[in-house]
Amino acid sequence: MTVRSAEWMKRNSIPAQAGIGLRFQHHQAVAEARPDVAWLEVHTENYMGGGSPLAYLDAIRRDYPIALHGVGLSLGSAEGLDLGHLERIRQVVEHFGPGLVSEHLSWSVVGGVYLADLLPLPMTEEALTVVCRHVEQTQAYLKRQILIENPSSYLQYRHATIPEWEFIAAVAARTGCGILCDVNNIYVSSSNHGWDPSVYLAALPADAIGEIHLAGHTVRQLETGHTLRIDDHSARVAAEVWMLYEEALARFGARPTLIEWDNNIPPLAVLLDEAAHAAALLQTTKRADRARAA
Amino acid sequence: MPALHELQRAVYRSLVARDDDATAYIRADSVAAAERLCIYRNTVYVTLTNALRLSFPAVQRLVGAEFFDASAQNFIEGELPHGAYLDDYGAGFPDFLARFSPAASVPYLSDVARLEWAVSRGLHAPDATPLDLAALGAVGEGDHGRVRFVPHPSVSLLQASYPVDAIWRAVLEQNDAALGAIDLGDTPVWLLIQRLPTGIDVRRLSEPAWRCTSALCAGQPLEEAVEPASGIDVSALLAEHLTAGRFIAFNIKEPIAAAQALASVP
Repeated sequence: MTVRSAEWMKRNSIPAQAGIGLRFQHHQAVAEARPDVAWLEVHTENYMGGGSPLAYLDAIRRDYPIALHGVGLSLGSAEGLDLGHLERIRQVVEHFGPGLVSEHLSWSVVGGVYLADLLPLPMTEEALTVVCRHVEQTQAYLKRQILIENPSSYLQYRHATIPEWEFIAAVAARTGCGILCDVNNIYVSSSNHGWDPSVYLAALPADAIGEIHLAGHTVRQLETGHTLRIDDHSARVAAEVWMLYEEALARFGARPTLIEWDNNIPPLAVLLDEAAHAAALLQTTKRADRARAA
Repeated sequence: MPALHELQRAVYRSLVARDDDATAYIRADSVAAAERLCIYRNTVYVTLTNALRLSFPAVQRLVGAEFFDASAQNFIEGELPHGAYLDDYGAGFPDFLARFSPAASVPYLSDVARLEWAVSRGLHAPDATPLDLAALGAVGEGDHGRVRFVPHPSVSLLQASYPVDAIWRAVLEQNDAALGAIDLGDTPVWLLIQRLPTGIDVRRLSEPAWRCTSALCAGQPLEEAVEPASGIDVSALLAEHLTAGRFIAFNIKEPIAAAQALASVP
């Protein structure tokens, strides 16, 4: 067990400012240039081994608060959590002492096999019970709160009985976990399923929102003439998503906000530019909140 | 209404075996259920193919991206990962390539893949502090023969029938002249792979030195490990291993499991 001082904890908490998702392609650029960005988030799975990734992040984290974002815990698996994976997560958490730890409201593991995607859960009472059990198990094992992220999805199940926004709010209420509100995912899923994204945002408890994600998506034209929005993190944040982000800030107040980019990764400057846009909107929100308080 | 585990098995079969079990559970409106599932299937295959691409870059360059993707697709269908830590995925890919008949015209391909897997394991192995030489120096002379070592987790040993180290290096450096100069009828190679602070190190050993090193890395006591090494300077070999930080712990009594030894490393 690593001993951390209160001062260290304060320095490493994630501020309600703009950060970027750090990927291997930018390790060297960030280590050398130390760009002006408030915090960084990495994928937990990318730091489960040793060697150069770990060495880079050890060096970088001396200057930036770090958040860990997992893609593989599969909180919605009916067969239970992969305890080996949970232990690997614990070790990464122990090593970096991240300000925030998050996972997804989805499933990937069945029959001991990892299907490498964030697969949608049926929004049923059974799935809610399973997810809550696994969130509680994870929080107990890691001895800390985690955030769960709303996924983007391309299908809904016939037997679903609970709207996704009520489902995620219920998980937070029952387990005490926080919510990582991915505004792009809300936009993508709402567009794909005909939901009202404002209804989605309005259903989320503001107190539970610990972080916001923003990313780009693409519009896929299907042969039938219909379109689906695909959450591929391969572009700048869409204008409609920025608008929804402003709505989220108005509703929740300023929250740590992250720019994610995972495919066709551009130069670091592009991510920083996106983060600067988020930072400006966060400033506006903080000014408005202060004015309201005064 | 399917139970959650039933639904998840059906989705698994639809994504991997391409049957349509899951489509009955999915709302089909403007977009067909099968088409919706296809988006997920595509992501699964692209993600796993990318994971293999990262671990086997020389194999990809040797066969080309298109052939690599087709091989990967075949491999993935038969062997999905057992966990979400994808740096661990691909151990079976070299053996798969050896069995994969379309790749038979490149007889050294699976051996190059074996080397790349060892390199990948080396790159991702946990960090560990090399053995403290002072502690080893304190061992009495009478106990020397009973010393058993624990190898650094990034160290591995590989024997190949082709000069795969030369092929691997030339392919990654895109050095066609060096690649053209390789004699495939060359003698087998005996390789040691290790991660150094400067990067991955792949070096050839003589066969006796390789056999001795393999025995040492397997935890055999020194006096037994040196048996296959007659005719070579064992103390020079041992000094080289120690200087290069290839061992992280030792024991002079019972065999120790690498995991136990690692747990005691700060």
